[in-house]
Amino acid sequence: MSKAGETGEMNMTYLEEARELLREFPVADGHNDLPWALREQVRYDLDARDIATDQSAYLHTDLARLRAGGVGAQFWSVYVPSDRPGAVPATLEQIDCVRQLIDRYPAALRAALTAADMEAARAEGRVASLMGAEGGHSIDNSLATLRALYALGVRYMTLTHNDNIAWADSATDDPAVGGLSAFGRAVVREMNREGMLVDLSHVAATTMRDGLATSVAPVIFSHSSSRAVCDHPRNIPDDVLERLPANGGVAMVTFVPKFVLQAAVDWTAAADENMRAHGFHHLDTTPEAMAIHRAFEERNPRPVATVSTVADHLDHMREVAGIDHLGIGGDYDGTAFTPDGLDDVSGYPNLIAELLDRGWSRTDLTKLTWQNAVRVLGAAEDVARDLRSRTAPSNATLEQLDG
Amino acid sequence: MADLQDELEATAEAGALDAPPRAETAEVTRDGTKAPPAAPERLEDLENLEGQEEDLEDPDGLEDPDGLEDPDGLEDPDGLGEAHEFLAAHPVADGYSGLPWVLRHFPSYDLELGEGGVDTDVPRMRKGHIGALFWSLHLSDRLTGERAVGATLEQLDLVRTVVHAHPEGLRLVHSAGETTDARNCGRIGILLGPAGAPSLGDSLGILRALHALGLKAVTLAGASWAGEAGLSRFGEEVVREMNRLGVLADVSGASESTVRRALAVSRAPVLCTRSAAAALRPHPVNLPDDLLAVLGEAHGLCMVPLTAEQTGPSIRDVADHLDHVRAIVGPECVGLSGTYDSGAAHPQNLADASCYPRLVAELMHRGWSQDDLALLTWGNVQRVLRTADFTARAAQDRREASTAKIGDLDG
Repeated sequence: MSKAGETGEMNMTYLEEARELLREFPVADGHNDLPWALREQVRYDLDARDIATDQSAYLHTDLARLRAGGVGAQFWSVYVPSDRPGAVPATLEQIDCVRQLIDRYPAALRAALTAADMEAARAEGRVASLMGAEGGHSIDNSLATLRALYALGVRYMTLTHNDNIAWADSATDDPAVGGLSAFGRAVVREMNREGMLVDLSHVAATTMRDGLATSVAPVIFSHSSSRAVCDHPRNIPDDVLERLPANGGVAMVTFVPKFVLQAAVDWTAAADENMRAHGFHHLDTTPEAMAIHRAFEERNPRPVATVSTVADHLDHMREVAGIDHLGIGGDYDGTAFTPDGLDDVSGYPNLIAELLDRGWSRTDLTKLTWQNAVRVLGAAEDVARDLRSRTAPSNATLEQLDG
Repeated sequence: MADLQDELEATAEAGALDAPPRAETAEVTRDGTKAPPAAPERLEDLENLEGQEEDLEDPDGLEDPDGLEDPDGLEDPDGLGEAHEFLAAHPVADGYSGLPWVLRHFPSYDLELGEGGVDTDVPRMRKGHIGALFWSLHLSDRLTGERAVGATLEQLDLVRTVVHAHPEGLRLVHSAGETTDARNCGRIGILLGPAGAPSLGDSLGILRALHALGLKAVTLAGASWAGEAGLSRFGEEVVREMNRLGVLADVSGASESTVRRALAVSRAPVLCTRSAAAALRPHPVNLPDDLLAVLGEAHGLCMVPLTAEQTGPSIRDVADHLDHVRAIVGPECVGLSGTYDSGAAHPQNLADASCYPRLVAELMHRGWSQDDLALLTWGNVQRVLRTADFTARAAQDRREASTAKIGDLDG
């Protein structure tokens, strides 16, 4: 116990060191759902959620907190739900939202399409703003639409969201095609050709393995943690992490408590079971359903994840994949709950301080926060340049390839 | 001067000096002797034209400019030397081509060498002196709702792919300046649009996304906000947002009330990408004289299509429409629209994109001045593009991107 005071003091020093490090090598975060939050909360009325002012009552994200958190690049998710029609039009509206944000806050945000753009933004002290699509449903089985999204600036696509799609299995759905179908592999190859990163978060382990086998460019996990540390299907198994060095890809650790903390996984499962026992869908948010949920929560306090929980994942992932294959993908504004100390986008320095405390070197941390993410996008560009010089765009269809 | 080849050509015949530069050396001699008889003939025709219009239908020479081939066949193979010469300096900016939708169904194509299955390819566009061309993104009527947005993205991707595959001939352009640049580089400028109103998915965000992909014109027809009753409140907001972005409003095929409302609301010139005169030939897409007059007052642009259905079966019919439209809207507000590869039948001798010189020759016979012709073929489209860009820059200083929703405005 005599160490407690000392540790506190140490942490202060580490926190300062973390902030200093982030000034030079800021966080390039793989996933932030601000656009969806703006759509759901205010239907894109950007005056009503002016992120130049404090939005902590409504959002995890605003410009001041991005700055405080040492964020230097952000993949803004242009997520749309997979369980309703009209994914393509909705995705375009999400893209338009990001473009409007960039136009609206030119001093804080800079549009970024390439690794070079990311470095330029860092040099200017602006947040490099990239886009990632979350789920193959956003291209409606069309490689032409995939290319259109690329042309609009989308630089990664998660192959699925929570539901299976025709050509890829999701981690949180029943196995169907058993990974990637033939068309799914064609999608991956076309992404390679365009220079759009293949994101293997949210997909089934079978899809992860098929994606790694198919992609000739480095892949990413935009927001996933380690399954060995916390057994949740959304996390990455060790055999997949082990393949990242050969592929060159990056696994960006996520903070979502119900994915990173085993106790939270178990608690969420029990809570969902409780909802179903009362005749509700487990994601129901109607007042009646929420009342049932609150009653459950009063009886069973929600387990709380901490900075240390996330650091445990990083320590393990580093053991398995190596320091060159780690990144950060907070999933802010995409999750209701966050770990203690990582409550919003201003929390990243706490994680870096924790890792400094655990003995991570400055060089290693710059790879984690910035360098790996920039490298992986640049590598995708190199592969695309080569492929485009040798191959024509594909217009293969689901019907042709998957019969 | 010391160039040996120049010397050789110069010694061929003294008459060569009188010949138009494009004439081939071997034919130059005959040109000197045979051209004079041809000229008075033309003058005579012009007088006839002024005198009585019925005569127009009779003389063979005029009915089919190819008829001129016989007397002048040797000096000027197709009798269109003057038209070619004029178009070389003032190419055609063509308001409508249905090529993207046709190519969608082709397993492969080569527009650079020539593509027999379509009316438009690079060699024929060069022969027709097309310098810029709107590529329509109109979809089949069966594609509506959310499918229309995805299909539009696919069409845009197709256009990008096609243009990318023909870098020697084609170049995507988005503004008046880029169009001129493309021409100065010997490329045909491809402008994206018009797209149909259903492509916007009732969303200004989607309009902005499509604009970011290069969309330059939208037809205000076929959506709940641009129907028979005219523009709804959301429809007007669409037009204002188009003004802010620099996307042109096309009202060919729009209802009369939509045309009037669009002309009133739009701060940028309004286009008709394929409308002829309803007074000469009734057709739902043709404009009656009163609407043409309003379009002219608003300084819009009426681009007359070369289709048998809308303008009639002969070159003279097309020219009649051009005369009529010019008389009403003025020479600054009339343009040309090939409407090739749109499924429409074309007037005789205007079967494909190479035929513009014949039409220009006809207009020359009718006494169109060089200035008016230059506006018709190229200048008016340039003016409209330039004004739209200017309007957009001015509007962007005043207006933020509109967040209006169709549900809020149209209930």
